Parts: sequence; C-alpha cells; structure tokens
Amino acid sequence: MIKLEHVNKSFHNSKLAVRDVSFEVNTGETLILLGTSGSGKTTTLRMINRLIAPDSGEIHVNGEQVNAQQIESLRRNIGYVLQDNGLFPHYTVAENIGIVPTLLKWDKKRIEERTRSLMEKLHLSAADHYHAYPQQLSGGQQQRVGLARALAADPPVLLMDEPFGALDPVTRASVRKEFRTLDEISNKTVIIVTHDVQEAFELGDRICLMDDGAIQQLGTPAELLFQPANDFVSSFFHEQRFLLELNALRLADIRPWLDMSVPAESNGPVLHGDDSCWDALEQLTTLSAPVTISFEDALIRLDTSELMHAFTQYKQTVSGHGRTTGLS
Amino acid sequence: MPLLSISKLSADMEEQPGFPEFVQQQAGKLLEQTLQHIGLTFISLLIAVIIGVPLGILITRRKKLAGIVLGIAGVLQTIPSIALLGFMIPLLGIGAKPAIVALFLYALLPIIRNTYTGILQVDPTVIDAATGMGMSKKQLLYQVQLPLAMPVLLAGIRTATVINVGVATLAAYIAAGGLGEFIFGGIALNNSNMILAGAIPSALLAILFDWGIARLQKVRMQKVKTALYLLPFLLVILSSFYLLPAAYGTSLVAGFTPEFMGRKDGSLGLKQVYGLDMRTVVISDMIMYKAAYEKTLDVISGSTTDGRVKAFDLQALEDDKHIFPPYYAAPIARQETLDKYPELEPVLNKLSGIINDSIMTELNYRVDYQKQDPAAVASDFLKAKGLLQTARHGTKGTIVIGAKMFGDGYVLANIYKLLVNGYTDLEAVTKTGLGGTKIAFEALTNGQIDLYPEYSGTGLLVILQTNKAVVDTLISDKQKVYDYVSREFMQRYRIKWLPPVGFNNTYALMMRRQQAADLHITTITDLKEYLLHH
Repeated sequence: MIKLEHVNKSFHNSKLAVRDVSFEVNTGETLILLGTSGSGKTTTLRMINRLIAPDSGEIHVNGEQVNAQQIESLRRNIGYVLQDNGLFPHYTVAENIGIVPTLLKWDKKRIEERTRSLMEKLHLSAADHYHAYPQQLSGGQQQRVGLARALAADPPVLLMDEPFGALDPVTRASVRKEFRTLDEISNKTVIIVTHDVQEAFELGDRICLMDDGAIQQLGTPAELLFQPANDFVSSFFHEQRFLLELNALRLADIRPWLDMSVPAESNGPVLHGDDSCWDALEQLTTLSAPVTISFEDALIRLDTSELMHAFTQYKQTVSGHGRTTGLS
Repeated sequence: MPLLSISKLSADMEEQPGFPEFVQQQAGKLLEQTLQHIGLTFISLLIAVIIGVPLGILITRRKKLAGIVLGIAGVLQTIPSIALLGFMIPLLGIGAKPAIVALFLYALLPIIRNTYTGILQVDPTVIDAATGMGMSKKQLLYQVQLPLAMPVLLAGIRTATVINVGVATLAAYIAAGGLGEFIFGGIALNNSNMILAGAIPSALLAILFDWGIARLQKVRMQKVKTALYLLPFLLVILSSFYLLPAAYGTSLVAGFTPEFMGRKDGSLGLKQVYGLDMRTVVISDMIMYKAAYEKTLDVISGSTTDGRVKAFDLQALEDDKHIFPPYYAAPIARQETLDKYPELEPVLNKLSGIINDSIMTELNYRVDYQKQDPAAVASDFLKAKGLLQTARHGTKGTIVIGAKMFGDGYVLANIYKLLVNGYTDLEAVTKTGLGGTKIAFEALTNGQIDLYPEYSGTGLLVILQTNKAVVDTLISDKQKVYDYVSREFMQRYRIKWLPPVGFNNTYALMMRRQQAADLHITTITDLKEYLLHH
C-alpha cells in the first residue's frame, strides 16, 4: 500500500515540479501516473523510494512513513524498473536478477531457484541466457530481465518508470501483455509512470493524469474518458478518444442499452461481459456477421449497429449526469 | 713511419667491442639497473595509485574540488622532469626519495583524471538502478562504479607507467640509479653500446608494461573483480625490486658522474689501479658538489678548477698512483672555419697561456657559486687583462662557439665570444649547455658549432678511444698527449687544436676538508685503506 499526502517538490528554487499531490494505491492495485514530459510524474515516483526528497508532505509505504525507514532496506522492499533497464553490464543475467536477494543475504541456492523460476515465468530461457551478459540480449529480453530483477525479492511494492518506453511498438505490446498476465504482480501495489495513453488504459486499474506538477484527475479509465474533470483532461485524450472509449467500456457497461431479447445463434464466436466494446467491434468487422455475447444470466446476439447504438446511449447518459470523479 | 704505425694502431682500437659483448660484460650491472628501474617505476606508481584513486573517487562526490585537484595535478605534470627533480633536492636531498616523489607526482594526474572520468562515465541509469535497489554508497562504489570504471582507470595507470619508465631514466642524475646510468654515461663517454644498453631495456620495459596493462584492460568484465585485487599485489612485488640491489654498502658513499663511471682515468682506473671498492651512486655534476657539502655523499669525482671546490670547502685527495693525467684545456675548431676566416685564429690565440688554474677556479667560483652572469664574468676578466674591445657588430659571418654543460666551458665560451666580436668583423654566438663530450664533439664535426673548449685528455681517451698501450707511452707527459691529439684530430676530423689556454684541469677524488682531516685521509690509498678497515 502506498499513500501520498500533500507532497510538494521544487528544484533549484524554481517553480514547483510537484504540487500538492495526494493519492492512495491499494494492495493488488495498479495506478498509472500519466502525463507529458515535465508533468512531475517521474519526480513523484522517485520520491516514493526516496531517490528524491520531497520539500513537504508525507509519503507512506506499507503503512509506515518512508522517512522513518532505513533508506537501503526501504528500497530493497520496493521493486524498481527503469526505462533503460539499468542492468549491470558487468553482471550476467542471473547475477543481475540476484542483486537484491544478494543484498538481503539470501543463500545461494534460494537465489538460484528464484532466478530460474522468474526467468521461466518471463519467457527467458535459462539454458540460453542464465550466464549471458545483458548486451547479448535483445531489447525486449533486457526489459524482461529488468522486470525479473525488480520482482526477485518478491517486494510488496513495484515502481516502474516508463518500463516499456525504450521498446519498439511490437515488442512493447507483447512484453506489456506478458506483464499484465503475470501472477507475480496480482498481490502487489504497482505504480507505473508512462506518457503512453494506450499503455495507461491497458495496464491501469486507475489512472492519475498529471500536468504541470499537479493531479488533473484520478480515476478509472472510463471515468477519465466520460467524466473528465476539466478541459485539460478531455483534450488530453482527444486524438484517440474513440478508440480509447471503445477500449475502456466493457460489454457489461453498455448492457442496459442492449436489446436482451434477441436470442443468440448457436454458431460463431462468443464474447463475454468482461470483453471491451473494441473487442466486439473488431470481431464484427472481421466477420461481417453478428456475434454472440455470453453474460452470466443471458446469451444474446449482437450486430454492429446494435453495438454502436448502445455505446452512444451510454455516453449520452453518463455525460448527461455531469458527474465528475475528482480525487477519490 | 712511426706516425703511420700509431695511427694504424689507434684506428684498430677505435672499434669498440660489439653490443652483445658489452651486454655480456656488464650483465650484472644491467640487471641491477633494470631492477632499480622497475622498482623506481612501480614504487612511485603504487603510491600514486594509493593516493590518486581515492582522490579521484573523492572529487566525483565533491565536484567543487574536482577543478582544483585536477588543476594542481595538471600543473605538476607540466613541470619539466629534470626541473622537478631539481626542486626535490633541497627538500629531500639526493637518492631514491626525491626520485620516487617526482615520479609519483608525474603519475598522479593520469591516475586521478582517469579515476574521475572513469567513474563519471558509468551509465547514470545503472547508478540509478543500483541506488534504487538499495545499494549503500560503499556497495555502489565497489560493485558498480569501480568495476565499470576499471578499463578507464587501468588506461590511466597504463599512461602513468609508461611516463614513469621514461622519466625514471633521469633518476640517474640524482643518484637514484636505474637505466639512466648507462644512458647518460654512454652519452658522456661517446659509447654507443652503453647508451643502447640503457635505452633498449628501458624502451622494452615501457612496451612490456604497456602491453601487459593493455591485456589487463581487455579482460572480460566479470574477471575485473579479480584484476582489482591482483593489481596492488603485482605493484608491491614489482616495487620491491628496488630494495634488492641496495643490500650491500660501505661506511663512506661515493657519488660519481656518469662520465667518470666509465672512464679509464675514472672509476675503472680506481678499481684496477687502487683496488678501490666502495658504495657508489651515479649523480649529475650539477648537484654532486653540493651533495658532498651536505654530507649526502662523502667522496666525489670533482674537477680541480671547479669553483664549487672552493665554495664548499672540499679537499682533493692526492692521486698517489697517478691515474688522473693532467689535461690541457684548449679551444678546438673546424679547420674549414679557420680557413674561411683567417683572422679568427690569432684572435682566439690571444687567450693562450693567460688563464692559470687559480684564475680559472676563481672565474668558475663567481659563476657557479656566486651565480654571476658568465658574460659579465668574462667581460670583467678581459677588462682586467686589457683585452676588452667594444663589439664591432660585424656582419662578415657568424661563428658559433659551443661549450659543455659545466664549469669552465661557460666562461671560456663567453670570453671567446667577446674576443671575436671585439677584434673581428665576425658575429659570435654561444651555444652553451651541450650535454657531454659526445654531444659537443658531434655538434662540432657536423658543423653545428665552429669551436668549443676541450681537454687534451678527454680527446685522447673519450673521443679517440686510444688503446692502453699507446696511452701508457703518452700519459705521463701532457705535452705528448697534446701533440698526439692535435695530430690525430687534424688527420681524422680536420679539427685543429689551438694552443692551450694555460690551466690544467684534471679529475680528483674530493672529500669534505673536515672529514678528510678527521679520518686522516690525504691520498686515494689512504681512502682505500680506511675502507678496508671500516
């Protein structure tokens, strides 16, 4: 669990880099710090593991104020992933992954077991790469090693600074997908810094959109899209709005506006309530035929015009309320 | 007919023994000098690493200090090496200490600078990751910064090593030993074998260490840790070489110039004729007298007319077995120049027979000890003798007057300059400070200088390399020596010996007057006897 309360930070007496930032991330939750360069998101992240000291405000990790904790042991309990991976070039893959366990004085056998199991989970062949050096790996593999290194000592908290930013789009998508499905992170408190909106929507349980050092809005992806707190928030997503909206909405969200009376046909692909409207639209356009949606209590047939109708209805209804989600 | 036989004989003898024979003969000495050389290089390097690396680390953390520290180390680097050694003498005397300190100062800059840049060039992301994972400053330094800076750091040590191997040759000037003894001895004695015996090993050492450390730099990353621990160990071992040769010693210490060390009428003669065997260091003429005065040395190879003999109250020991022949000092000139400007020779001869031993000693005293300008001393002298004429600023031609790097030469060259300028329409310039007989004589034969003052004995033994049988027939009579060299020089080199200036200069072993009296030593035989019993 991570909690920030009224945190401020300025560099060299200039204007505030981070202004009155407060939020709370629960165990098992992933929060995205989203914003442009200079928005203060990385500074915010680095204050959590004390790489930067805040000017004022309080930061708690696992219920204890960070300043009260011994700095090295605080950091050893926080997994840290960097954009350019920061792997030690003079250490092998295994030695890199074993850094924090070694600092924590685990015995050798335990470190090796843990390293091998993490490599397997992250699709790194131990046979090929255990004794390899980072520069012998591809970018995607290096980033996986960086992730394994952060997870090695099974820290309760994971901080990731642009973790996939240095990868090409194809590799990025695949590493991201692996990350999302990793069981290791399910019970951790995760904060990810990114400027990539797609990535934020894909990985985040909640998104904290920052600009000019301050939080503009914090909420679920759908809340940011459909109930933007201000003009900055709505214009931030302007370019990719339609795509994001389709991605952010699950079929379950638009169920009230679907015609539940149309019975499903037995053949064709089946989608579920947890799938996004984007997934449904993708299937519909590829097949040029209706698809089947399986809700817990009903099985219905859906075509493109039905989907778009329900989607539009949802948008009108939600924004019609004029309800905003500020700092929750 | 006799003339022919002599020149044939000397021509035969001119061939020096081959280089391999020389090395074989001098193997013991060569080994000792090489070990001293390695020792000097690595003791200083070790100290420079011990001090330079932590200093380099410190300035990566206190950036404000970086400019100051690198600035000071940079300034030290720019001081000419011989001058740096000179500065050390008043502080630390002569011998190993000042040499090691000077070499240490030279090694410092590359080591500090490369430690500093080596650590700063470590990828900041890696540092960030290491810190973020909870490494302490110490862990960061030893596990990340130093291993990753190691190739650059080693490059600095490599540079420092090569610099030190080179500069360590100069240590021979201040009695610290090393391969410089052969190099400077060889230059002074016109002995190419001796120069090569010093120069080749020192070049090989530089190449060997350069190659060795380059290998170390290329060692794979993970082995860097081993190298880190191996390096100090190696340095200590190599440093200890210096201590090996210094194991023996006598109660009195002698300091001889490189030239004296290799001369038949020098150290070799002392061993052969007197059986004198004492702890001997090689030292530059420039600091030898002062070292004797300051009691660092007890016996030196002085020159009888040197002003510093008077200044430092030294006493020449009587050469009771006559190994130091008296030498006439006379200008030697290119015949070509004398033919071109016939008016030159009579002017140069104005000085002949005028300067006796005590006048020369007095003149040298004023230059060497009272630090008066040689030109002013020369001018005063000529005025006193009524020989000074105002310069005519002639434009007929230029005469270059050379002089070797010590004593008599400076004053004589200036006197000749004034004479030439005053009595002819020629313009005389001086080129003093030629670093030894070989350099001066080659400058003369190559036409870079037109004349310089030389001693008849040096001409006989060093330049002509006359064999022992011939020397024995000549040496007792200074006129015979002079006649012989005049003839041979003209025949071989077309160089003319003009009439002698008047004074004799000869080598002599010298001791502090007080010590000589206390130990009841007045002759070289007395010295030998004293050493046998103490």
